[in-house]
Amino acid sequence: MDFLANLHDGFAVALTPWNLVYAFIGAFIGTAIGVLPGLGPATTIALLLPVSYGMDPTSAFIMLAGVYYGAMYGGSTTSILLNIPGEASSVVTCLDGYQMARQGRAGPALGISAIGSFLGGTASILLMSLVAPSLAKFALDFGPVEYASLILVGLLMAVYLAGDDILKGLLMMTLGMLLGTMGLDPTHGVPRFTFGVSRLMDGVNFVVVAMGLFGLSEVFVNLGVRDVRDVFRTSLKGLLPDRGDWKVCWAPVLRGSLLGFVIGVLPGGGSIISSFMAYAIEKKISKTPERFGNGAIEGVASPESANNAASTSSFIPLLTLGIPGNSAIAMIFVALMIHGIQPGPLLLKEHPMLFWGVIASMYIGNVMLIGLNLPLIGFWVRLLKVPYHYLAAVIVVICMIGAYSLRNTAFDVGLLMLFGMLGYFLRKGRFPFAPLVLALILGQRLELAFQQSLTLSGADLWIFIEKPISATLLAIAVLVMLIPLFKWGWKKRPHAPAAS
Amino acid sequence: MRNKSDVLSGCMLITLGIAVVTGSVRLRVGSPLEPLSGFFPLLGGLLLIVLSFLLVIRGWMGGGRPNQPLGELRMVAILGACLAVYVAVLESLGYVISTLLITAVILRIMGATSWRVLGLGSVVLSVGAYALFHWLLGVELPAGLLPFFD
Repeated sequence: MDFLANLHDGFAVALTPWNLVYAFIGAFIGTAIGVLPGLGPATTIALLLPVSYGMDPTSAFIMLAGVYYGAMYGGSTTSILLNIPGEASSVVTCLDGYQMARQGRAGPALGISAIGSFLGGTASILLMSLVAPSLAKFALDFGPVEYASLILVGLLMAVYLAGDDILKGLLMMTLGMLLGTMGLDPTHGVPRFTFGVSRLMDGVNFVVVAMGLFGLSEVFVNLGVRDVRDVFRTSLKGLLPDRGDWKVCWAPVLRGSLLGFVIGVLPGGGSIISSFMAYAIEKKISKTPERFGNGAIEGVASPESANNAASTSSFIPLLTLGIPGNSAIAMIFVALMIHGIQPGPLLLKEHPMLFWGVIASMYIGNVMLIGLNLPLIGFWVRLLKVPYHYLAAVIVVICMIGAYSLRNTAFDVGLLMLFGMLGYFLRKGRFPFAPLVLALILGQRLELAFQQSLTLSGADLWIFIEKPISATLLAIAVLVMLIPLFKWGWKKRPHAPAAS
Repeated sequence: MRNKSDVLSGCMLITLGIAVVTGSVRLRVGSPLEPLSGFFPLLGGLLLIVLSFLLVIRGWMGGGRPNQPLGELRMVAILGACLAVYVAVLESLGYVISTLLITAVILRIMGATSWRVLGLGSVVLSVGAYALFHWLLGVELPAGLLPFFD
């Protein structure tokens, strides 16, 4: 019954007045940015990093986690009412949610979306509470050899799952690793690519890169874009789904939650893939697949449950292995590092109150979110009418302050500007950011783990194959790299059906 | 049809890769069994060149998804220049004056036309952010010409 005792202690942390306030702030901001198209959780968490500097680490983690899972709730509102997904993970909700709204069933669509999100999120937290401690215990046996292989497979999976262009993903991963090599070499103490600039001795600060790529480039990309958002007028009466809706939806919610949990754990998996897969599975097993795309309520219920379950379970690799699986989680990783907390298997041992406090806050945050989303739908829809120029100015000011406050120097603000411009061109060229930021964080650790492994083995590279966990992870890495080749070969085979 | 922007991006990345490889060799590379400071960057640089070369070939053959049009490049250049000026004057003018000016510029560039929005919006945003970050969160910001904001 260790689990219940730990969770009890976690609730004691999460239920303190300030942590409740921070959980609410996180959930509120998360819902808001979920509603607003364009501003995702990774960008928002990057913008909130400077705010978190002065906070207690547990409170900061609770707030930032709230932003992440809160965004999944808010994203569906615009999908259903405007046919504009507030979040990429809510794209699939447009298909049936908007059709339901057009048929006068916006209320049940929003209702099942919020309730499905709540159930998916809560089921995932429960599973995480059970699985994470065992995984952390298992990971305690990992040495540098296993870590080097784990980081490699994590990065490759993030490239494979994060975008549809693997070549550009690999390029961004390599670029991120190279950025990570700037500054003093951690092993030999030799300055690398500092160009004689003393401020580059510590390397390029991740916060500056993240705020530039995710935050500032957002403003550059929206220059000259006409800001028109027409809200579809429909009846919002009867938000609770009726008994017939429940009969149809309970199984899709359950399937979506389980699927979301599993996919969320994979590096690069996350909420987007899980929502698409959940929708595809529901359509495949439905006796009436023709209803999908025409207002099938299970087409809303399952993806929404899946994306919330995935957003929660994506904390597992961070908390237990110290590997962030996507950009938003990478920002939370950095927030913890700023507070001197090392995410990974030792987190549970060294900071049990933080670990269980955050998990307990997720239960509370989910309850807050259902209260924030259903009764306040009118407010969230009105939020869409705030002109973008205000949002743009807020983004720039927060980015500037955040960059300056790192070392109290305008040099970092200049770097931020450069990364903002770089982000603009990368976005236009459809280069994915996630592999770059993950590689920037993990690249240095990979180098260090690789060098430690060689020291341990007396400079014998076979150690990566001799250790069973490492060998398994490397086999997975090879498989991940071979999948695109298999796919290509499958498409090129004679009599292959034309791609639709 | 050739994917020109991918070809151009690939060429730029190849150049970057060559620069990284050159820099890594100068750092001393060592060997795979005893890597020195330049070893990892060298691997990264070589990988960057190979992958960029593949991007150029793919773009030349018309593969890959078409990229988004660059759009308002003139506006991007103007905003970039304004931000560069902001960086240059931030410490001498101080946070409040420079941020007030840059906020007004951003509001204007992003489409706000009313003087009330420009004036009031920039004052509220810059001073509001100062209040939140400096007074509430204790973040140090340059006072510059206004010692009151120290």
